[in-house]
Amino acid sequence: MTEREPIAVVGLDCRFPGARNAQEYWSLLMDGRDGTDRVPEQRWDADRYYAAASAAPQSAREARPRGRSNSVRGGFIADPDAFDPGFFGIAPREATAMDPQQRLLLQCSWRAIEDAALAPQDLAGTETGVFVGVMANEWAYLQLADYDRITARYGSGNGYFMGANRVSYHLDLKGPSLAVDTACSSSLVAVHLAVNALRAKECDHALAAGTNLIMTPVINIFYAQAGLSAPDGRCKPFSASADGIGRAEGVAVLVLRRLSDALADRQPVYAVLKETGINQDGRSNGITAPNRWAQQRLIESVWRRAGVTADDIRFVEAHGTGTLLGDFIEAQALGELTSGRGSGSVALGSVKSNFGHAEGAAGIAGLIKAVLALHHRTVPPSRFADDENPKLDLSGRRLSLLRSPLKLPSGTVHAAVSSFGMGGSNAHAVLGSAPHAVHHSRHAAPGVFTLSARTPERLRANLLAQADALSRRPGSQLAQLCWTSNRVKSRLPHRAAVAAGDLPTLVAGLRKAAERAEGTARVDGGRRGVPSVAFAFTGQGAQHPRMTASWYRSCPAYARHLDEIDTLLAPHTGVSVRDQVLDADAEVQGARLAQPALFAVEYAMAATLTEAGIRPSYVIGHSIGEFAAACAAGALDVADAARLVARRGALMEKLPKDGGMLSVSLGATEVEPLLVGRARLGVAAVNGRRSTVIAGDLDELAAVEKELAERKVSVRRLTVSHAFHSPLMRPVVEEFRRECADVSDRRPALPVFSTVYGRELSGEETMDAAYWARQITEPVRFAEAAGALLATGVTHVVEIGPRAVLTPLLSTLRAEGDHAVSLHSAHPGEHAPGHRPQELFGELWCAGLTPDWDLLYDAADRVPRRLPPYLFDESFRSWRSGAAPGHPEPSTPSVPLGADTAAVPSGADRGESCPPAPAGAPPDPLAVLTRRLVCRVGGHDPQHVHDHDRLHEDLGFDSIRVMELKTRIEDALPQLGSLPIEDLLASLRTVADLVAYLRGQLPHGSATPLPMTMEGTR
Amino acid sequence: MAPPTAYLASVGTCLPGDPVDNATLAKLVGVDETWAEMFTGNISRYLAVDLATGQIRHSLADIATTAADRALAEAGLEPGDVDCVVLGTATPDHLMPATVNLVADRLGVDNVPTYQLQSGCAGAVQALDVARTLLLAGRCTTALVIGGDVCAKHLQTDFDPGSRTSAELVNYVLFGDGAGAAVLSTEARGQGIEIRQVLNRLVGLGREPGQVIDWFGLGDRHSDRTAVFEDYKAIEASVPVMAGQMFWELLDDLGWSADAVDFLLPPQLSGRMSDRISAGMPAPEARRVNVVRTVGNNGNALPFLQLAELLRQWDGPGRAVAVAIESSKWIKSGIALERS
Repeated sequence: MTEREPIAVVGLDCRFPGARNAQEYWSLLMDGRDGTDRVPEQRWDADRYYAAASAAPQSAREARPRGRSNSVRGGFIADPDAFDPGFFGIAPREATAMDPQQRLLLQCSWRAIEDAALAPQDLAGTETGVFVGVMANEWAYLQLADYDRITARYGSGNGYFMGANRVSYHLDLKGPSLAVDTACSSSLVAVHLAVNALRAKECDHALAAGTNLIMTPVINIFYAQAGLSAPDGRCKPFSASADGIGRAEGVAVLVLRRLSDALADRQPVYAVLKETGINQDGRSNGITAPNRWAQQRLIESVWRRAGVTADDIRFVEAHGTGTLLGDFIEAQALGELTSGRGSGSVALGSVKSNFGHAEGAAGIAGLIKAVLALHHRTVPPSRFADDENPKLDLSGRRLSLLRSPLKLPSGTVHAAVSSFGMGGSNAHAVLGSAPHAVHHSRHAAPGVFTLSARTPERLRANLLAQADALSRRPGSQLAQLCWTSNRVKSRLPHRAAVAAGDLPTLVAGLRKAAERAEGTARVDGGRRGVPSVAFAFTGQGAQHPRMTASWYRSCPAYARHLDEIDTLLAPHTGVSVRDQVLDADAEVQGARLAQPALFAVEYAMAATLTEAGIRPSYVIGHSIGEFAAACAAGALDVADAARLVARRGALMEKLPKDGGMLSVSLGATEVEPLLVGRARLGVAAVNGRRSTVIAGDLDELAAVEKELAERKVSVRRLTVSHAFHSPLMRPVVEEFRRECADVSDRRPALPVFSTVYGRELSGEETMDAAYWARQITEPVRFAEAAGALLATGVTHVVEIGPRAVLTPLLSTLRAEGDHAVSLHSAHPGEHAPGHRPQELFGELWCAGLTPDWDLLYDAADRVPRRLPPYLFDESFRSWRSGAAPGHPEPSTPSVPLGADTAAVPSGADRGESCPPAPAGAPPDPLAVLTRRLVCRVGGHDPQHVHDHDRLHEDLGFDSIRVMELKTRIEDALPQLGSLPIEDLLASLRTVADLVAYLRGQLPHGSATPLPMTMEGTR
Repeated sequence: MAPPTAYLASVGTCLPGDPVDNATLAKLVGVDETWAEMFTGNISRYLAVDLATGQIRHSLADIATTAADRALAEAGLEPGDVDCVVLGTATPDHLMPATVNLVADRLGVDNVPTYQLQSGCAGAVQALDVARTLLLAGRCTTALVIGGDVCAKHLQTDFDPGSRTSAELVNYVLFGDGAGAAVLSTEARGQGIEIRQVLNRLVGLGREPGQVIDWFGLGDRHSDRTAVFEDYKAIEASVPVMAGQMFWELLDDLGWSADAVDFLLPPQLSGRMSDRISAGMPAPEARRVNVVRTVGNNGNALPFLQLAELLRQWDGPGRAVAVAIESSKWIKSGIALERS
């Protein structure tokens, strides 16, 4: 790191008047639109605090009537009352007690991190810093004025510090976390502190934020009284019509990193902060008056440290409040430096012309404008620039207001941003355009796009948003976009995955997934504990020409593993099994090569999945599949296995081709009588309760087939070269046993469900020479072995093989045994799409597993690309209107004492309504009561509280709330007595746990707990 | 200040979908496989339409955007760096808006001059000419030049092959879809190849068009005019002559001798014809870069596909000359490249 390492702006999100996100902000700026509006009714009654300035005032009092503002306009953001408390595990009641600035900062922070192509979960636990510029604490005026209504929640819902600390808490960020108040320069000062913290290595990532919500007319009245308020509510910086300030709102977050780190991670960079600085006016001409000399000294020193002069700076985003004095002083201070420019002029503008002065968020509003301008290489025009104040002599100072957008040249370009505080704290920053980086993508590489959300409804909305955005991206970025989605958007419980080989297919797939989104289940389904996976290896007959060729082409890791195993097999097979498979050589169908070929693809598939973190806890193999299974379990060395399968295939190939195999839909016991007297027939496999395979001599088999046809039993001939697992195999057994003699018989590292024994291998059993010799003629006892496997409670079974053969058998067994296992076939067969590995990873992830996605992509495609950030649920609303203390707003319904909700949706206190009973079951009175109490304490909508919801993570129950719940439960169920709090905290995870716990505590015989208490009766 | 130099910073290409070989074409369109290869020499092409279903999978804007994005990535540039976009095509997605502006939007390029040239096989060179002129005039520093064509509009997938003449069928075999793009810069980015000269000459005075692609609207959609017409005899006779003339004009302009040319990028008509023209052109020692045999005649994309192939083969100092002939109203065009 150099001494003054540039700091990269890698992510951002913002909400400003007339702009709900960064994209809308940019178009507002480029279109030169006005974001101001009349004061929304929800804030306060604008007319009530309005008095027009008299045209010919007789006195100061008349010019500025007391308690009134001269304007009814300002810049207000849309939907400041909306929040997604459930997303952050915050109880609705707590959310209503939170300063809305905290809520909006949380959402903006999440989105800004996603915009940086990072998963917020990946920053959790790191020393990421949070620096929030804030000067408005209007919430406190409203919320804390009535002492009698102060509850425990108010402490955490209020205060500047909580703006930053809450972000650190909910995102689990452990670096510096502080709120900064230097009045109107707060957010640029916050950026300065973040830059210093990054340079000092106090943190590796920093969120620098600014926020300002206008909840009361207090500052409006102050500005009016001070003669600083523009009657039309608009700032008109550097304009002849400048007549004061219009107030504005804003919430914005930047994600900052040291540039070298960002480049090493190939992260997209919007722009870099070359240098920042702050100073103070000191004892100047009045504490609120701006100071030319202090401004000039600051700008000079920051430019010097950044190593730039007026000739390098292309544009300056000025403080530019649009007060005559402020504009004049700023033009003088800046002009002192810019007038020395060799040629041309420095473009000058201020975003305040678009929506007003965002106070605590003003500095960051200007900074984001400059960052986006460098990113788009275009400086947006300034409103009111066509009415320049001639007294400022801007052209003489080589400054020019932009009346139309300025296209920036290629190469490094510099810009500067100023933000000054009313109390004299000044901040300034110099930015540079992002350095160029070359990122090639692999041509036509497929990918799997993963998207997750907290609810099915949000999943749908986010899928559609991604589809819209992707439809406008270049097709060459497909794999990179997919990889980014895997990295950034794959951690929430409702999931959708779409694999595709080209972008139009992906977009169509996402739209289709959106249609189905409402039906998606939570990925963990409320289940506890870690998932366990079994690999089930397919047996002979599954092979087909070019099997898994698509894996070889589209999954670099699979190609590597197949190459490896091919090298091990080659000395024993004499040919490259890999080439035979990929070239669709017919020889692969014969026993000699079919067995090593199946072993090779299964070994490579299993190795690929294992490398991707999909590690088996159990294995099972059907016939030849047991070799790859034994390797996966560590029971057989892979080089030994390669030699054995080649030998096994070669031995069998030499046997006369006089055998066949017949699948019959009968149980094994019904088959036995058919074999009596037919010495050259045997049971080859027991695949299910009504699925058995008979193998042996062709003539005898034909006789059985005829007999069964007469009995109308359905039978099917298998296309095989030999009668495997039949008496006809006996001639090769001894030679194969000798071949196996030197195989080290290792104890498996994983439970192996042996299809020779039809059960799990017991403690001392190994897969030794005797085992493999016996395996040749023994029936494949798949049904028994698989039944034992499913009985372990395994959560996922992945069939490893080139075709889905075991999956349907397992599906039948699952239904018979009523197991909740999730079944997957790694490669369903010839018709699997070319991007099957990608599809499989998506499928496994949707089923709750967490693959290492990197394995699916070439290094060149593991480049983060920006995707639209998460769209939050906006159905929760809470706001407090800005009535003066003791003068309740007539438009606001009065709030009952003790109810700390101001505007929860549907008005009612949620706990009072009856939660729905599970469909089809009679309502469990204890469960109903428990849920009602939970909803009452948390303020949740009973419709959205489920048994599997976790009290802490999903419903936001902290220790204060658990105490409250304990009291409520004790009141409602007096027979319980006092509940030990440590028991409650230790044994409770979900709502269902709580119900079970309470049931256990109730004395026997009082299974129905109810007397309904006052709370429970309507 | 010395006048700027125009460099070829990078090239990107996009060929939609998987290659369609003659056997597949024979199966789906009914042309004879051997005849296809014998007549044109082309062995595969790429199509934006799925021949089996008739579904159009990619627009010109789609593939042009992809090619442009690849060129920008190759040059290590962001869309914001682009200060001019020029696109040449014979088959725009719409008459309005111009496809170049849809591509700019998809890339995120805004507030820059854009141009679309309605052009045939010389369009890529014309587009390079416009871009280079802007660079040399000091109006721009980074130009994105794109060429591409999508013939889906002219491929009928639901017809009876027996009812078609061989002149109609040959179009199926000859043409393909694709797009290419190049970044031109006043800085010596990429491989440091300088664009020394670009020439364009209309030579159609008094000559009948050798190729016509018509377009229809509501008023004349039932007209019996032929949508696509080619005068193969005239093309075969005129293109080699014009190609030779253009080659010499470029060399005379620069004072180069033919034996100092290391690479020659000849006009691409069909695999067979390009080989013949290529063999007949001067500078026999110069290595030929032909691509049409495998990518099909995709019009305005071809010179970019040749340039991409040239960049793969070319290292060290040297000179390259590219010639493209448009046989519609007869335009000869060419580029000279040099790396010192």
